[in-house]
Amino acid sequence: MKKITSYCRITDTAVILNGNARDIPFSGEPGPVRLTEIYRSLETAYPKFHKMDNLSKAGFLASEMVLREAGYDMETPDGTVSLVFANSSSSLDDDIKFQHTIEKDNYFPSPAVFVYTLPNIVTGEIAIRNRILGETSFFILREFDAEKMQIFAEWAFASPGIGHVLCGWAEYLDGHCDVLVMMVERESPDGLDFTTLNIHKLYFDQHGNFDFRP
Amino acid sequence: METLILDLKKQIIEALNLEDITPDDIDTNAPLFVEGLGLDSIDALELIVLMEKQYGIKLEDPGKSKEIFKSIATMAEYIEKHRTK
Repeated sequence: MKKITSYCRITDTAVILNGNARDIPFSGEPGPVRLTEIYRSLETAYPKFHKMDNLSKAGFLASEMVLREAGYDMETPDGTVSLVFANSSSSLDDDIKFQHTIEKDNYFPSPAVFVYTLPNIVTGEIAIRNRILGETSFFILREFDAEKMQIFAEWAFASPGIGHVLCGWAEYLDGHCDVLVMMVERESPDGLDFTTLNIHKLYFDQHGNFDFRP
Repeated sequence: METLILDLKKQIIEALNLEDITPDDIDTNAPLFVEGLGLDSIDALELIVLMEKQYGIKLEDPGKSKEIFKSIATMAEYIEKHRTK
């Protein structure tokens, strides 16, 4: 049985890492500023973070915490890890932002905004940051679907040499963040069974009440 | 020219999301790309948009970009000569 060995949940009200709510002093309302506050709490130096769109920032932050927790070596190129993400609004948050740069009376298309008008850029950002060389994919679903998430991850494991799949749900739209990122290992004595029910439980525990013992 | 240089630094910081960098941190004569601010190709495109949006300058000849975007000083010099707003 494959195991979830680490996970992170980010919502508008909480950041949960392996079942524990992280104590991050947020300054105000949810939104882009909150993502920057989470970034600062990680005490990491990655200036490119500030250039990302909100969806990439959200996925990046959750992945950063999960991979740290998993003791992942981000300096060594690794072809045994695959990335599988999904959401329901694709890159709409950034698409709208780009649309504002091409209005009839204010037509200055922004290249820096345009490059994020695809949802799978978030997987690229995570792969670049962590030197992950396995396959990456991003699916658009009607809504969060634990069963499909599990099926997609199993597909990734079917590729030769894949021992880990970093997978999850990365949603950001109109100031609202909804992210679940899990590290799933093919062979691990510890962790939570990688089942639809457990994915569902992790997603719907929004207060750090889930008893996760990696 | 001093005012233009300061404005330009502020506009670049905002346009390129250079968090934690103030105008004082940017050396007016330092290279903008690779060294110095370490800007990349997308940043270069964003600078072209900035020139048009803020100063009404359309860069028609891409070959000149390398010289214009060498540093804040070269950008300011070009803007001073060619600005339409």
